Amino acid sequence: MDSVNLVPFQWPAEWHSAQQLKLLANTPVNCLFCDNDAVSAAARHAGLTVIDPKSASPSPLAEVKWDAPPAPRVIGGLVWPSVRMSPGARRDTAQAGPTGAPWIDSNAWVAHLARVRAKGAPLWLSFGAAQKKSTIDTSAYLTALVDSAAAGARWIVSLDPAISKGLTQGNADATQTWAAITRMLRFFEDNRRWAAWEPWGALGVLSTYKGDHEYFGQEVLNLSARRNLHYRVLDRTAPPPERPLDHLRAILYVDPEVPTPAWKAALASFAQKGGQLILPKQLAAEFPAEATLPCPVAGYQSRTCGRGRISAATRDWDDPYFLAQDAHSLVSRMHDPVRIFNARSLWEHYSESADSRSAVLQLVGFSRGSYDSVSIRAARPWRSATLHTAGSAPVRLNTVTVDGKVEYHLPDFSNFAALEFQS
Amino acid sequence: MNTSFTRRNLLAGTAGSMILGRNAWAAEAPTASVALSKCNSYGAEVLPMLSAMFDQIGGLGRLVKGKTVAIKVNLTGGPESRMGYLPIGLTTWTHPVVIGATIHLLGKAGARRIRLLESPWKSAEPLEEHMIGAGWDLSHFTNSASNVEFENTNFLGFGKKYARFNVPKGGHLFPAFDLNHSYADCDVFVSIAKLKEHLTAGVTMSMKNCFGITPCTIYGDNAPIDEPGQVPLGGRFPIHSGSRQPSKCSPGEHDPATPRDGGYRVPRCVADLVAARPIHLAIIDGIESQTTVETVSRNATYVKPHVLVAGLNPVCVDAVGAAVMGFDPMADRGKVPFEKCDSTLRLAEELGVGTRDLRRIEVIGEKISNVVCDYRKASATARTRRG
Repeated sequence: MDSVNLVPFQWPAEWHSAQQLKLLANTPVNCLFCDNDAVSAAARHAGLTVIDPKSASPSPLAEVKWDAPPAPRVIGGLVWPSVRMSPGARRDTAQAGPTGAPWIDSNAWVAHLARVRAKGAPLWLSFGAAQKKSTIDTSAYLTALVDSAAAGARWIVSLDPAISKGLTQGNADATQTWAAITRMLRFFEDNRRWAAWEPWGALGVLSTYKGDHEYFGQEVLNLSARRNLHYRVLDRTAPPPERPLDHLRAILYVDPEVPTPAWKAALASFAQKGGQLILPKQLAAEFPAEATLPCPVAGYQSRTCGRGRISAATRDWDDPYFLAQDAHSLVSRMHDPVRIFNARSLWEHYSESADSRSAVLQLVGFSRGSYDSVSIRAARPWRSATLHTAGSAPVRLNTVTVDGKVEYHLPDFSNFAALEFQS
Repeated sequence: MNTSFTRRNLLAGTAGSMILGRNAWAAEAPTASVALSKCNSYGAEVLPMLSAMFDQIGGLGRLVKGKTVAIKVNLTGGPESRMGYLPIGLTTWTHPVVIGATIHLLGKAGARRIRLLESPWKSAEPLEEHMIGAGWDLSHFTNSASNVEFENTNFLGFGKKYARFNVPKGGHLFPAFDLNHSYADCDVFVSIAKLKEHLTAGVTMSMKNCFGITPCTIYGDNAPIDEPGQVPLGGRFPIHSGSRQPSKCSPGEHDPATPRDGGYRVPRCVADLVAARPIHLAIIDGIESQTTVETVSRNATYVKPHVLVAGLNPVCVDAVGAAVMGFDPMADRGKVPFEKCDSTLRLAEELGVGTRDLRRIEVIGEKISNVVCDYRKASATARTRRG
């Protein structure tokens, strides 16, 4: 089977018998990470793909061999996606980030960066119960699954010992949780087209994401996602993309290091044609700029460059959170593809089909409870918007005019919802 | 008889004479007419209504012609929060139509430059971005008059240094404040508020709106001890709680031994602020609003008082606003709506800002009794309905 279609599952250590393969029957799971010979043989006989965990052990992002033959890239060193809880704090008290918003652990940025480096190879994210500090309930499993899937990757479904044992014993709670997981897996398989659509954003984030720039570059991606700043990853270790950068409104050049001549030419051309180049203080003199422009963001100086502008920092960047905030302000929220109200701990993933005639906004919920009163305002005037949630039939949403703008008011949902737009 | 004078006696005596003095100031506090109008929606009627109201209080021309006007709007809390599906301007923030209409009328009256000001919570983002975050169309403001600018005043912003404002008569809590340059670089200062209750201060209108003029780089959580921070790293909790003093570059409070209670401190701080940075024109958007709290909250109830209030004296305007909400502007601590706090109106009155005594305030337009929207009754009804 083409590895693109594989739905991976970590065979639990608590499952010793091939009998337990029946628990996977009628589920989308078609690929096992399993080192039990008897189970592996039976699984192969049943038409499943079996991978020996030793032959595909997960690597941290920095150690993944991107040029290996086409095969899923298995990435480890990840977090269990969740709202981070305060240690020793009152039960269910979430830690707050610099904004006062709850601190969210997500692997979405890893998937976005890996996607650029993997050049079409499937991305499998490996994390399990060891990465989860608190109870893993149904909601936690679904968040783990959708955080990966919405970013175009697949989580190697990994059950904790309690649920693994519970399933073999026919425990009702475990059975219910497994049903919810497989329902969500099925949902994403049914909507597999979204994984091929390109993440869309007005801002390109350019870095090597390696060596000295690893922490800062990667944190900018992580913290941009945290503020629902839609970005596209640009990798400075590769040559500039053949496709012109004109589809972006701004490029944030993160590393305080002079670009290669090829990148320098591409960036200068981008600015000349009307784009905005956001530069660290150290590179302000590297690009020809003309008249000074008013800059709404403190700590930056803007100058014209052809039809575009260069906004250079006037002080060192030392905090990726503030850099993500500055970049969002410099490119302006006006260019966000969607505006979402009452998002709270929802993360947005927005991507468009290759022909730009369709788009999907995937909303990943990190809270246990349901989301209510969520409104969406799309920048583009779409002909229709259909709400997709796992286990329910798609619903075409009516538009509501608010302050003269078209909005979609979502009914209550938990964990995940997707709004597919058609032009 | 023990005639020895302890420090406690001395302080008590001083405080007593200050109170006596302040009561005397209160009796002489200035008054000004307040225009009160019914306004049923945020539609086309807002502009002519406000225009008529400004005429009723003496016209804008004499106030703003050829002048730089700074407008503090109330955009408290996150821009992407809503009560249900309701846009934030209907419940919590000053509605953009009221702001736009005011800008238009100021421009028409000859204002040379109009600067919109707010200090978005914990943020140094441009004010424009805060507004865009709520889905607002900025052209609604920039096309309403020429030379419309925006500034986030939660930090130094576009200024070179903070401007110091001394509180006349010494102030209740602070002797002076250091504020963003925009509050000094203006000839006329306008406060456009929302008609709301406030969890800590009882009510929030044109005066409480000015609590947000304090930069969090000096007065906020995590502000550096000595100098102002470059960007805000927290909210204004220290002013509420007295947990710390402002950065040392700015004047600290008079007496760190006074109650560390928000109900004591916030009203005093607000009164000091409006005495230090006088409001020349106070406007309250009470067309649609919310009860109970000042931010988006499940505990609030959506109400439609359908009123606009405007005047040249913020205490008088807020007194009328309080009455519209069904409250007695002469009430003080222990009485609705000041159950757990002191009255900002009384404290501002004591500083000689204006009178809260409705008997001394000329209300032009609607009678208060015709437009009362009892906030407490509205929220009690909603609570009963919710079960």
